[in-house]
Amino acid sequence: MPNHQNEEVLLRVEHLCQYFKSVKAVDDVTFDVKRGEVFGLVGESGCGKTTTGRSIIKLYDITSGDIYFEGRRIAAGTKSYRDAINQAREEMKQADPARKAELKQFIAEQKNAMASAKANHKAQSCVTDIQMIFQDPIASLDPRMTVYETIAEGLRIRGEKNKEVIDKKVFDVLEMVGLVREHAGRYPHEFSGGQRQRIGVARAVVMNPQMIIADEPVSALDVSIQAQVINLLNDLRHQMGLTILFIAHDLSVVKYFSDRIGVMYFGKMVELADSDELFDHPLHPYTKSLLSAIPLPDPVYEKQRKRITYDPLAVHDYKTDKPTLREVSPGHFVHCNEAEFQEYRRQLGL
Amino acid sequence: MEKKLQVRNLRISFRTVSGKLQAVRDISFDLHKGETLAIVGESGSGKSVTSKAILGILAGNSIVEGGEILYDGQDLLKISEDDFYRLRGDKISMIFQDPLSSLNPIMRIGKQLTEAMLLKGKARQRASRANFNEKLKLLESAMIAADPSNAATAKEKCELFDKFEHHHIRLERDYNEAYEAAQEALIEIEHMLFLIEKNAVKDAKGALGEIKDFALHAINPDVVSDVQATRLKSEAESLLNGISAQIKTNNFTETAGRLKSIQAILTEAVAKVHPDYFAIGYAMQMNALNATGTQEEQNAYYAKYMDEQYMNEFRKMAEQAIAKNDAKYAEACEKAAAAVREARAEIEAGYPAEDKALESMVSKLTALVNASINPLNTVKDSVLYTFGGSLKGFVETYMMGKKTNGAKIREYEKQMARYNRLQARGKKLDWKVAAPSVVDLELVRENILLLMSRLLEHYNELAEAEKTSDKAEKAQKLINMLKESASGMVDKVTKRRAKNKALKLMEEVGIPEPRKRYKDYPFQFSGGMRQRIVIAIALAANPDILICDEPTTALDVTIQAQILELINKLKRERNLSVIFITHDLGVVANMADRIAVMYAGKIVEYGTSEEVFYAPAHPYTWALLSSMPDLDTKEKLEAIPGTPPNMIYPPKGDAFAARNRYALKVDFEMQPPAFPITDTHWAATWLLHPDAPKTEMPKMVSDRIKKMKARVGGEANA
Repeated sequence: MPNHQNEEVLLRVEHLCQYFKSVKAVDDVTFDVKRGEVFGLVGESGCGKTTTGRSIIKLYDITSGDIYFEGRRIAAGTKSYRDAINQAREEMKQADPARKAELKQFIAEQKNAMASAKANHKAQSCVTDIQMIFQDPIASLDPRMTVYETIAEGLRIRGEKNKEVIDKKVFDVLEMVGLVREHAGRYPHEFSGGQRQRIGVARAVVMNPQMIIADEPVSALDVSIQAQVINLLNDLRHQMGLTILFIAHDLSVVKYFSDRIGVMYFGKMVELADSDELFDHPLHPYTKSLLSAIPLPDPVYEKQRKRITYDPLAVHDYKTDKPTLREVSPGHFVHCNEAEFQEYRRQLGL
Repeated sequence: MEKKLQVRNLRISFRTVSGKLQAVRDISFDLHKGETLAIVGESGSGKSVTSKAILGILAGNSIVEGGEILYDGQDLLKISEDDFYRLRGDKISMIFQDPLSSLNPIMRIGKQLTEAMLLKGKARQRASRANFNEKLKLLESAMIAADPSNAATAKEKCELFDKFEHHHIRLERDYNEAYEAAQEALIEIEHMLFLIEKNAVKDAKGALGEIKDFALHAINPDVVSDVQATRLKSEAESLLNGISAQIKTNNFTETAGRLKSIQAILTEAVAKVHPDYFAIGYAMQMNALNATGTQEEQNAYYAKYMDEQYMNEFRKMAEQAIAKNDAKYAEACEKAAAAVREARAEIEAGYPAEDKALESMVSKLTALVNASINPLNTVKDSVLYTFGGSLKGFVETYMMGKKTNGAKIREYEKQMARYNRLQARGKKLDWKVAAPSVVDLELVRENILLLMSRLLEHYNELAEAEKTSDKAEKAQKLINMLKESASGMVDKVTKRRAKNKALKLMEEVGIPEPRKRYKDYPFQFSGGMRQRIVIAIALAANPDILICDEPTTALDVTIQAQILELINKLKRERNLSVIFITHDLGVVANMADRIAVMYAGKIVEYGTSEEVFYAPAHPYTWALLSSMPDLDTKEKLEAIPGTPPNMIYPPKGDAFAARNRYALKVDFEMQPPAFPITDTHWAATWLLHPDAPKTEMPKMVSDRIKKMKARVGGEANA
């Protein structure tokens, strides 16, 4: 259910690039997450959606771009500045004196910007406000720590020393996620998959965060357990007014859970829209192929379903005109070039 | 429809520290040829255990308590590891759930993909060779036995057969290699031309080098003729000339021209008629290679020459030999059948008092049945082959049970007494006494009787078939088999060929740049990619039955759709039978012809895919359907509360009762039987009993079914 009352931007990601040596895992991705909404991020494995989530909580040092949280810059990369400086130096070799002075000034500015980006990146100010739920509940819990220790660890690190306060918070949060007090003394292996994921959720929620990044929280679970965890996240979201960045590849779940959805393909954001809009009027050919692949529990329909395949070489002609993310209709962004942009607008009847 | 695999009353338990865990409790199903059976259920419902039992890879602490898995006339629960070696991968193959643990972390992907192909290829070659030699020898001795006066001719004929087959083999091997290279080259050229056209050439040198290699290997007098061969050679060798300049300017017109001329030559070559090497081999042996004209004319000439000079007579001799031989084995069959009938009557009356009597009966029957196997048959008679092993297995189980049952029951009674004593004292016990794992002697006896009846039935069938069998046809079949075995000998899976096949498979399952990734280790792949490798390995051996254990759970939708389409395509092309295990009903709808819903080791609902999705009857199926969102779902999902029961202490009534909103009182007390709904659809729930209160399925499910029907109807009209 799209939530249009609140337009305050909580998280803004601008031109995020995350390169691992020569691999461009995330390449120039820009999006906003508004307060109180669930933003879904979908795409095939290896398209960079998990990397985006991890970059936001600074598990990686981002290569270039800025990330703002509540208006403050919390992470920034320096590659764009370095590139600009290098280019300016290259130009300086042949430039006349007047231009040279200009370029010198420019380089100094860039250097300042770089220093401030580095300083911002190092600051840890918002760590508790963004929490993450990981994909694999077995691998992400320390097998030698009891549930109580796992949940309380974050509080302790944040400087909470009062045992009573910790106790109260841990027990409250356990009840909130549908476990009971007695579970606190047990170890992760004593729980079923769904319960383990609940512990993961409890660990994230106990810090009273404003935002949760849920990285495929249900894909490792059985269908019946999946519904339990989705319902839990939905309840928590309404109770605590959480903002959720929901990373998943199961489109039915994403559609059910998210207000807006961003579709990623090979490190690029190719389409971004309200979830109903995206499913009703997909524009980018990759989105279309993704939607055509969703399996439904309906045998007759399934046997008729035709899957659309996406072959970027065959569909796009980007030899001369390079594509960018453009707003085709209000709130609906597509990665396209000018010709395609006009074509998409025509399709929407604009 | 032909039943490919039958599972009957299968029961499997696991020995654990805290007792016997009943993983599979009495399930039965059939798998028909060319159909997909989906087994749906939560983790711990016993679906993976069932599939592992079929493949004979159950964990060491498992106990097969009863039932049988019949494949190709043999019981997979009883055959030896050696027999399984021939089945696994070749006949029954499996896609495993967890790609990380089913790949070897210290072996490159390429090696893991080709390993099985090379091993199986070698084994098949060896088997072909052995088969050829053995059958030819048997035929020779049968010919001599049929007509002792003509022994010298028979010997000479068979020797000649062996000799000219050598020529056949050699020629065919060379031809196959060249022909395949030509085909590979064509595929590569087409791809390269596409890239050139789209202006997206990468690694031009490597790709062109490969094309050159293939094109040069395609040169063979029977594939590419003289004039063409010279042209092909010069074109291929100049393919890499001046390539650096072309890469620099990114202008590949020159290369494209060359590729096109190679393509033309090879397309023509591939379309030609295959030479009949069987007949040519004979002509070569007789120094009579003198045919001219087109390939068809040559083939016809040699075939006629061979028939006149040799084959007609050979065929007649073989026919005589087979007739005599069949009569001999028909007698042996009768003798064995009589003995089995006698033994069956004995067992029906009860077990013999002495173990020795039973043992001697087993050895006597085994010897007689083995003696009735006709070695000249082209099809292996697996019922006769496996009878001895199965019988021995049953008898051994009986003897073990007789020896240990008493002690186990005494131990159980002792523990039970202690339990009752403690409870009477008012102690609250958090443990229970597990039931003793005794052998059900009656069940074993029934199994033995069933085995014997089936054997007798088979003997009857054989006798019937013998009455109407056409000896000339049989002789021709035998000769064809010899010919095929000879071809099988040259069907060598070389490393190059295995690599090509692996690359093609990698491409087919959607791994980009397979050439680069061929040499990577498993840890260098992402989860989805790893799963695709596992699927490629399972498909490499071209199996008969494919078991997919949650193959797409770790994959995203597009890849999932690709993999499912791939499995469906292979199923259609190769008439595969597929067992598809999953917990995702959405996936099942696309794949399954029939569905078995499993819960706590039992099948609770069974029917065709349409029946289970449009008219589900069991509350567990309802719960599964309503706990998954689809694209139109807005309301709160109905999660199934709680977790599956602990199967060390299986509940007395319906296992699902504790989590079931619709549970009746009787559900907690008695296990529901299977209530048939239609001929092909049944469900095990008391709700279907005539006395049960009327219950509607949850609104969410019925709404969705209504919507699905509307959508399908609407699309059909549109």
